[in-house]
Amino acid sequence: MAQLVLTPEHQIQRLNQILNRATELSTLPLDALTKTPHPKSWNVLEVLEHLSISYSLYVPKIEKALSEVTPSDIGSWSFKVRPWQRFVIEGQRPKGNKRRFKVKTLKRFEPLIAQGNFDEEKANRVFELFQSTHQQLKNYIVSSRTREMKHPPFSSAIGPIVKFYLPEAFEFLLCHAERHMVQIEEILATQT
Amino acid sequence: MDAAHSERLRSFFQGVRFSGPQEELFLRSWNVYTFTQNELITQAGSIERYFYVVVAGVQALYLLNKNGEKVVLGFSYPGSPSGVFDSFIYHKPADTFLEALKPSTLLGISRSDYLSLFENHSDFHKWGHHFFRDILFGRLFREVELLTLSAEERYIAFMERCPEELRVIPQKYLASYLNMKPETFSRLRRSIRY
Repeated sequence: MAQLVLTPEHQIQRLNQILNRATELSTLPLDALTKTPHPKSWNVLEVLEHLSISYSLYVPKIEKALSEVTPSDIGSWSFKVRPWQRFVIEGQRPKGNKRRFKVKTLKRFEPLIAQGNFDEEKANRVFELFQSTHQQLKNYIVSSRTREMKHPPFSSAIGPIVKFYLPEAFEFLLCHAERHMVQIEEILATQT
Repeated sequence: MDAAHSERLRSFFQGVRFSGPQEELFLRSWNVYTFTQNELITQAGSIERYFYVVVAGVQALYLLNKNGEKVVLGFSYPGSPSGVFDSFIYHKPADTFLEALKPSTLLGISRSDYLSLFENHSDFHKWGHHFFRDILFGRLFREVELLTLSAEERYIAFMERCPEELRVIPQKYLASYLNMKPETFSRLRRSIRY
């Protein structure tokens, strides 16, 4: 299996693409944002809410790790992902516009808003939360850029079976977000 | 803005003649921005907000290839323009990063103020004609070098014309700019003295 080498610049660029797409989505009519392809599937707002919730579980872990890393004198980091972490990350990464290895979402990652209970105000709150959480993630990646990625690895949100260094956690969250942005495009495609 | 910065702008926009109040308005359109070493001035995926004139430091303009590796398109240094110009003009997300390779001081003007220079002063059109002509010819010259010269010839041609500031930036950026592996650049640096 070829190596997976991560850089903060690649992550920042991809995160900016996600943020830009979310900004475009915020201009869609409420009807498009709340329609689901099937009764049991999520709408666009629920997908974004799920991403904000999933990310928030990592915030204390990321902040602790950032407080432990020291400045580097060789510029921005480049990080080779370990095999098990790579397997987990690749499981999230969409292939083109396809989502592979679909699994049922755990209860604690589910969006809190009851379906059919959206209005403009709630929709705006979902977008504001998504933008603020993911801007924060970007700020964390930016602030890690010129630090040495040496810190005790931390447990992922699915438990200690997967432990991450910061670049691996950033990549996992990014691939997870990219996967759900594909889901959003699938939801919108059913409306045309 | 101090006198040295004003002089830097006058020199950059050589040929543009202002009346006293016009020049005051022109100078007031610029602000000083400072960046630490390795700070990202502009991120790919964000919109460039300023057209810069460099006062101090060296900056690299690069994009990422499909493997996520940096491909350096160019550098800016004292006296040269800087910024992600296509993003600035078209107001669209940048495809490239602009990074301060050394602590940098830049003078920046916003897009609306930049565009109003052309609306309000005919001299800026003449300046723009010369500026973009030089940029175009510079890029064409670089393309010819990349397509026709060997790695060693590219190294020599670059070292002969490059400003002193560029000789101290990390080799990997210079190697990428010259389209060669860092190992090749390092070997050439050892074998050819400048």
